[in-house]
Amino acid sequence: MTGVGRNAAKIRRMSSRLTLVWIALYFLLLLLTLRWSSKIIRGPWLFLLRAFFPNWKFFHAVGYVPHLYVRHLGPDASWADWHWVYPRKTRRLWQLVHNTDVNLALAEQNLLDHFANDLNDLPEGEDARQLVTYQLVDRLVRFDLDRRLGSGAWQSYQFEVRMERSNAQGIEATETMLRSPECTA
Amino acid sequence: MSFEQGLQWMTWLLCWSLGLQCVEYLRTQHMTSARGIWAWSVQQADIPVSNPGMRSLLDKLYSPAWHATHLWLRLCVVVSMGVSGVNLGAVMFLFVSTLLILVRWRGAFNGGSDFMSLVVLTGLLIEEVLRVLLEPELAAKAGLWYVTIHAISSYFVSGWVKLMRPEWRSGRALTIFLNGGVYGPLPQHSLLRHPRLAMLGSWAFILWEGFSPLALLHPLLALPFCAIAALFHGLVFWYFGLNRFFWAWMASFPAILACSGTLGSPF
Repeated sequence: MTGVGRNAAKIRRMSSRLTLVWIALYFLLLLLTLRWSSKIIRGPWLFLLRAFFPNWKFFHAVGYVPHLYVRHLGPDASWADWHWVYPRKTRRLWQLVHNTDVNLALAEQNLLDHFANDLNDLPEGEDARQLVTYQLVDRLVRFDLDRRLGSGAWQSYQFEVRMERSNAQGIEATETMLRSPECTA
Repeated sequence: MSFEQGLQWMTWLLCWSLGLQCVEYLRTQHMTSARGIWAWSVQQADIPVSNPGMRSLLDKLYSPAWHATHLWLRLCVVVSMGVSGVNLGAVMFLFVSTLLILVRWRGAFNGGSDFMSLVVLTGLLIEEVLRVLLEPELAAKAGLWYVTIHAISSYFVSGWVKLMRPEWRSGRALTIFLNGGVYGPLPQHSLLRHPRLAMLGSWAFILWEGFSPLALLHPLLALPFCAIAALFHGLVFWYFGLNRFFWAWMASFPAILACSGTLGSPF
């Protein structure tokens, strides 16, 4: 190898090592940012385009999560018990390639999470019914009643958003965040 | 794995992943119809656009007929890219199409899998744009490194945030989350209800995720890392039904394999 070739190889090696150092510094910085609680920047477009800013924090904390409960007025004019709208499905291996029902059920739960966040952010005295998420959850409730009972099997309904905390045995604490007015079919 | 091979495999896996997602979107159209939960008539109030022309364009794009046409067109582009290879026009179409779908689902249909699909698509977009300006290998390198950094960051962040939580360090969180899974709750006598086993499982995944950047040092580290990642996403599907996560992250593995060991390995 000539002197020029040796130098070029040396520069390439040094440049690679330097990139490695930069990458190590990036991960170190990433680690430090996890320790700081920075101000959250919010905005409607940022919310809609949040896929560009993924935070990669999945299932990271156990705590209160919103659950949706629904009750309906049956044909005999009596209120049924509160029903927890929560997806429980049967597992099939082929769902690894096609799992529409489960993904829709998960999207319903995400909607509920966003609704709970919107309720938290709602200024004191404001009507929650003006929220887009309220209206979407209301449609979810109607959809759930039709799905479970069949359309026409219910006259009125009411729903609650409860913040619930679980332990290994089940739900250990619950607080009602919102109770809707009685609505008709 | 060379950068060219990495790019080829990433394209195939992304096309497979986007294709599966697209078929699922086609089957969810009743939910975005006028009678569905996510009716555009309600959801349009969420869009912060005041320009009437832009509003009517979005109304048109998200009308059931146009939305269906968009999804079929997207599926055709995905299939054609999988068969004939990546090109700038197809990637740009898929990028814009993904944004439209994300907005239609209020930012995400399936959370992390949408984010990772966008990361891989952006990696391909970077590669295709740079290919016009630079030599192909350098363009491929840039696109694959973009995907690799995001993919490794996803495991790294996920591992360290868990390590900072006492409920994860004790294994308690694992049992609680598995109980809440769509295929849950865990059977009464499941081994994962056993505190010591839950703690062992938690720590195994926390350490594997937290030390994920080491996979960049050598292909011999990247290969088992990706194999464990596939197992991990398989388990996430098995317990939580997140099939899209499995394929979205699989699409990033060729990038990790191609980039590992290219930075002057210390071994």
